[in-house]
Amino acid sequence: MQLHGWEAALFYVLAIMTLFMAVFVVTARVAVHSALFLISTLVNVALLFILLRAEFVAGVQILVYVGGVMVLFLFVIMLVQTRAEEESRVRLYTGQTWPAVIIALLLAGSFYFAMSPAQAAFRPPDATTAIAETAERASAGAGLNISKDTQEVGEQLYRQAALPFEIASLLLLVAMVGAVLLARGTKQEKYYE
Amino acid sequence: MQALLTTLLFVAPGWVRDWITHEKQPNVFWSEYIVWPLIQIVIVVIVVLTLVAYLTYLERKVSALIQARLGPMRVGPWGLLQPLADGIKLLIKEDIVPIKADRAVFLVAPIISLVAAMVVLAVIPWGAAWATIANVNIGLLFILAVSSVGVLGLVLAGWSSNSKYSLLGALRSSAQMVSYEIGMGLSIIGALMFARTLSMSGIIDAQQTDSLWGLGYFLYQPLGVLVYLTSALGETNRAPFDLPEAESELVAGYHTEYSGFRWALFFMAEYSSMIVTAAVAVTVFFGGWYFPGLGLVKNPTLFVLLSIVIFGAKIAVLLYAYMWFRWTWPRYRYDQLMELGWKWMIPAGLANIVLTGVFYVLALPKAQGGLLGFMHEEKGRLIPTKLGILYFIVTGFVVTIPIVWGLLTTINRRSRDFNLHEQRQLQVNLRRERLEKMLQQGAGTQPAEGGQ
Repeated sequence: MQLHGWEAALFYVLAIMTLFMAVFVVTARVAVHSALFLISTLVNVALLFILLRAEFVAGVQILVYVGGVMVLFLFVIMLVQTRAEEESRVRLYTGQTWPAVIIALLLAGSFYFAMSPAQAAFRPPDATTAIAETAERASAGAGLNISKDTQEVGEQLYRQAALPFEIASLLLLVAMVGAVLLARGTKQEKYYE
Repeated sequence: MQALLTTLLFVAPGWVRDWITHEKQPNVFWSEYIVWPLIQIVIVVIVVLTLVAYLTYLERKVSALIQARLGPMRVGPWGLLQPLADGIKLLIKEDIVPIKADRAVFLVAPIISLVAAMVVLAVIPWGAAWATIANVNIGLLFILAVSSVGVLGLVLAGWSSNSKYSLLGALRSSAQMVSYEIGMGLSIIGALMFARTLSMSGIIDAQQTDSLWGLGYFLYQPLGVLVYLTSALGETNRAPFDLPEAESELVAGYHTEYSGFRWALFFMAEYSSMIVTAAVAVTVFFGGWYFPGLGLVKNPTLFVLLSIVIFGAKIAVLLYAYMWFRWTWPRYRYDQLMELGWKWMIPAGLANIVLTGVFYVLALPKAQGGLLGFMHEEKGRLIPTKLGILYFIVTGFVVTIPIVWGLLTTINRRSRDFNLHEQRQLQVNLRRERLEKMLQQGAGTQPAEGGQ
């Protein structure tokens, strides 16, 4: 047990919320409802990041996934005709329930066996250090408890991982240009000439 | 007076905390993180909601003055109670939910909009010291992230109404907000290079040491200010970019099917996001709660109160400018709006980042590899010298703006003109050329495109 106090309570609430929302994503009949549950899953994960003191990652998660990707998802879903599914003329569960359950159990088991040695290696922290830490953070006041999280991400990204970062950005650029090229036919090109 | 204030602000939270927790020993955590922030939140929410109500009044008054009318005059002296009357009217109106609407989403959508606009108020530095609710180290990123969630409210409102006017209105407004968000994010980065922090209070502190008399980064970042203010107008759906609800041409856009107080929630979200964008502009570019000469005030309580007044005054100037723009400029056409966003604002933001970065690296101290050495290190921060301040102002105004202007006109030389007359001229000329070419090829072949 590594978590204690308020952090533990918050972690379990958020983790359970995340799992339930993820299940609702799959079981919702209306596609827009699925998207909404996916959004709440993503927000919950962002809150978990904040609990891990990774504020920058949490902010970017909300900015990119909730504010960007999910809005585009909703754009597409809103314009697609999904009436057949909404009026339950389509079966949501096909005959793959049992294989899915078995695979999920196998996955859970493998996670457990992979994590248990790591779990044993952790020392349960003393309650006293945690209290001292909280008190220290509280007494440091509003101005001084700024963590170096953003700087660290920047250093890692632009110094240690500069090459993969550039490759990824190039890949995204190529995808973007390709999408524009596919969307823009020769007819439009002629019109703009 | 001061004793009363001190009691109210510093001792009273302790009583509340003792009453809630029944703990006799001083517990810093409760007063610092629970009780005091709650008091601040209540004050800020009440003040901002009142301000939102009176912004509608102010908008009507400003528009009336610009059009040489009187505006609301009947309810109370000079119509000052008009927002209250409007609020009561909206509260007692019937709350209509269309039968074919997706009920749950329809009810949630305005709440998402308003919450996204109001949560952000927590990290805005309303003043020095205790006037800031939360000094989060990702303050600016938090604001950008949470206000981007506000788009969801519009999209869902449009979809759940199950009406084609709402859906089309939602598509229009969300496309607009998503595009202008990018320009807004890019325009801030130049100022962040100077501040080297995302914390809102940190940015204000940095401006006091970095900029001329602590006036703000708008002296170093004129292009950034321009792009930010334009994008903020687009992001908050204000005129001249108010296409989502263009009153004179559309059926109200995404909130067509909303009535009564649910409609008012959208309205409140729009106005409070106006306040938020103005507050971010003030924080990042105009020196926040600081003004030259504020340092002379030695009394800490007076200092904080004055800082709040300065911050409010700066926001008020920007809000007045918003209203002024709305009633003096005509509305953009949709393609012009998108063109301005994607072909002018975003490239300008990107070019601003590159140029600011180059000038910043050139001005680094010589020990850190800079060529000009216009900066010196002090308490772990890089601070420009007197010559450095002049250098950054000159590069901002005299070098960056002409370079970016030339770059953008080169990029956009083939795009259609904003001027409708010129644009028509362009098409006429193209058609004439094509006809002449056909005539030269031979009179035997008739031009087949008569209807075009």
